[in-house]
Amino acid sequence: MIYVENLRKEFKKTIKEPGLLGSFKSLFHPKSEKIVAVDDISFEVPEGEILGFIGPNGAGKSTVIKMLTGILTPTSGKCTINGKNPTVDRKSYVKEIGVVFGQRTQLWWDLPLRETYGVLKEIYEVPEDRYHKRMAFLNEVLDLESFITSPVRTLSLGQRMRADIAASLLHSPKVLFLDEPTIGLDVVVKDNIRNAIDYINKTEKTTVILTTHDLADIETLSKRIVMIDKGQNVFDGTISELKSKYGQIRELHFDTDTANVEQALAYAEHFGISDDVVTTETDGKSVKVRFNSSVVPVSDMLSYTLGKINVNDISVKDADIEEIIRRLYKQGVQDEEKA
Amino acid sequence: MKQIKRMLRIHRIFIAQELKRMMEYKGDFIVGIIGFLMVQCSNLLFLWIIFSQIPDLMGWTVNEIIFIYGFSLIPKGIDHLLFDNLWSIGHFTVRKGDFDKYLTRPINTLFHVMVEKVQIDALGELLMGIALVCVTLPSLSIEWTAMKIILGIAVIPFATLIYTGIKIATSAIAFWTKRSGNIIYMFYMVNDFAKYPATIYNNAVKWIITYVIPFAFTSYYPAKYILTGDNPLYNIGLSVVISIVLMVIGIIIWNKGIGAYESAGS
Amino acid sequence: MKRKLKIYTPFINAGIQETATYRVNWIFYMLGNVLACFVSYFIWKAVYTSSGESSMNGFTMPQMVVYIFLMYLTSTMVSSDSAYLIGEEIRDGSIAMRLVKPVSFNGTFLFQEIGNKLMTICVLIIPLVVGVEIVRVVFTGSVQFNFISFLLYLISCTFAYLINFFFNICFGFIAFIIKYLWGVNLMKNCIVGFLSGAIIPLAFLPKPLEQVFLFLPFSSLNYTPVMIYMGMYSGTTLLYYICLQIFWVVAFWGMSKLFWRICVKHLSVQGG
Repeated sequence: MIYVENLRKEFKKTIKEPGLLGSFKSLFHPKSEKIVAVDDISFEVPEGEILGFIGPNGAGKSTVIKMLTGILTPTSGKCTINGKNPTVDRKSYVKEIGVVFGQRTQLWWDLPLRETYGVLKEIYEVPEDRYHKRMAFLNEVLDLESFITSPVRTLSLGQRMRADIAASLLHSPKVLFLDEPTIGLDVVVKDNIRNAIDYINKTEKTTVILTTHDLADIETLSKRIVMIDKGQNVFDGTISELKSKYGQIRELHFDTDTANVEQALAYAEHFGISDDVVTTETDGKSVKVRFNSSVVPVSDMLSYTLGKINVNDISVKDADIEEIIRRLYKQGVQDEEKA
Repeated sequence: MKQIKRMLRIHRIFIAQELKRMMEYKGDFIVGIIGFLMVQCSNLLFLWIIFSQIPDLMGWTVNEIIFIYGFSLIPKGIDHLLFDNLWSIGHFTVRKGDFDKYLTRPINTLFHVMVEKVQIDALGELLMGIALVCVTLPSLSIEWTAMKIILGIAVIPFATLIYTGIKIATSAIAFWTKRSGNIIYMFYMVNDFAKYPATIYNNAVKWIITYVIPFAFTSYYPAKYILTGDNPLYNIGLSVVISIVLMVIGIIIWNKGIGAYESAGS
Repeated sequence: MKRKLKIYTPFINAGIQETATYRVNWIFYMLGNVLACFVSYFIWKAVYTSSGESSMNGFTMPQMVVYIFLMYLTSTMVSSDSAYLIGEEIRDGSIAMRLVKPVSFNGTFLFQEIGNKLMTICVLIIPLVVGVEIVRVVFTGSVQFNFISFLLYLISCTFAYLINFFFNICFGFIAFIIKYLWGVNLMKNCIVGFLSGAIIPLAFLPKPLEQVFLFLPFSSLNYTPVMIYMGMYSGTTLLYYICLQIFWVVAFWGMSKLFWRICVKHLSVQGG
């Protein structure tokens, strides 16, 4: 369905020399340096899948999405959707995709919402009868009825986002790109939008590529994640694979009356491991110990803790995906600082 | 053919949308039209004051000068009315990354940009131009032939394309430099030379507005043909050739520019 | 006073930086305007050739050349965007923020614009003044540059700028009535251009009209400084026009204060 092979994008950035003299120099002799935004990205997406495309700020996510949607021309490598290549035949390529950029709208700002759909119908050449059916369907899924006659500039952010998603789906695209579709929305609206995306994916087999910083989007919608950082693939797999690969982190929660728990327990010394592997946080009586279960088995951890101090209400938890990704991002940043 | 039909249909739909938008902001559009009318009036007042002190300007009568001036406003007004959205490409659309929108749509980007907006303010120029031509024509004692009428009207769309072609080329520079609004502005200032007969300039300026930035072909040469009937091959024919050449150059630069487009932000 | 100026130095700096950042764009803008001067030059040349007279309404051809380019320099120096800026504030409602900020917003506008202008003035004034003087030397055969006139010109320009600044502040309040600032601004610039002599010297107008225009504040913007530079005004005439400029500075300053009072009342009634 979607093939991305060795995608690379370089930008030229002019370097400004300091001072007035520098300004003059760069006016006549502009110096530029090469910035590699996307180094080497490859992945595939089968039909009907929802792919979570994630990475820290500046990782190159948006650049990849813009290449996949035909906005940017790749420096090298290629991407195809259903065998079509955006740089070769942009017009027929973009007919197969729908795009929503959360920070931008493609709606006609000063006109009632309905007008936007009327224009998009012509641009995408949607026949009259299909258009009416489609609008009825989108209205049912995204509940546009209450504001379809209001000018777009008067819509709330949540309404605008629903309207934008509907606009991107009007021509029944095979692939839907959603760049931060829940940014700035409240919990209820986020939920509505996730449900709508899920519904469309299930009923129409629409392939969805989703970038977001809200991992709840990913957890509720996508089974598979592609994570990139500094323009390169970092991880490609299902959420459970992510958990089993990086998710050896467990959290031990308990309450205790013992003062100075950290010194009393001294995990690092006892197990002969470094402070990175095990961290302890206390908040009054409650204690949270985060540890890597592949180094210290859960059973050892439990028996040692229970034997050492008086404990109430003990429990062991999987670290959630957010925790894993936070660690991965942080690791990336640390690597960068070292280099 | 089918392609052209579709383009015309889309153009019509965009214009309809723009008219609906204007209905929402009626007052603004009237203000804009009056504004442009006033600019033209002050220029005419200038000409009128000058001509109250001299009998003719280098052999051109006041009516001839106003005819050329009015004729220059017609193609300029049409381009301004229909294709002014190109101007915003040079000023902010590329810089802010809003050009993304056009690239995700299944129609030609240049066509989409050109027809998306209607700049109703331009009616101030266009109507004034038509009025000036109509008012001065009866007093010019022109020998009318069928050919003159046909060529005089047929040259207008081509003269318009000279403006449009230059605007496409200069606005597309923004794909590389992020903003080119003032380059467009500079070219428009050169266009001021074209409002008056080219014979009042020295040879260097005359050569520039004929061959380098050929604004003289938007008004002076076609108007000269209508006034004198001289050399239609040069005065009208070259206008047509130049307009086509400029459009081709504009389209080539535009298409190259899209490959260099870098979008904005993350 | 010193302390006050210190508060505003960052705004001057910001203005300079702004121009420097968009310098390429700025250069093309200036070039475009110089081209417009050449259009006027050729028209006037044709006019003088056609009239067959060496002097029209007290202007010889070389004086007209000087007039055209000085007019460009002066109108660039005294131009002000404050109408547009304050109009935008009224339109998006941020004018209410002026009530809670500890610095005078008129002041911040003024100093940021001065910063913006410094670069323009530095780049334009030397080539234009030198160019104009060369023209005068070529045509008259002797050096015409008069340092006192030049100094008086700069002083007159300063008053002109202040008139324009406060006039534009007053004009900007029109945004309470008409939303389409760009169109309104176009009309204003067109009328002011004519009344201030930027399109044609006021001496070319019918005498009664000239007298009225000379008293109106707009001739103080461009015409007065240019006439002073060219040495057309002297003695009591010169004093009269400078005093007239000062009168208009004070009048528009007072009016801008008055409008602001009304605006505050309006804001507190309407709640912004």
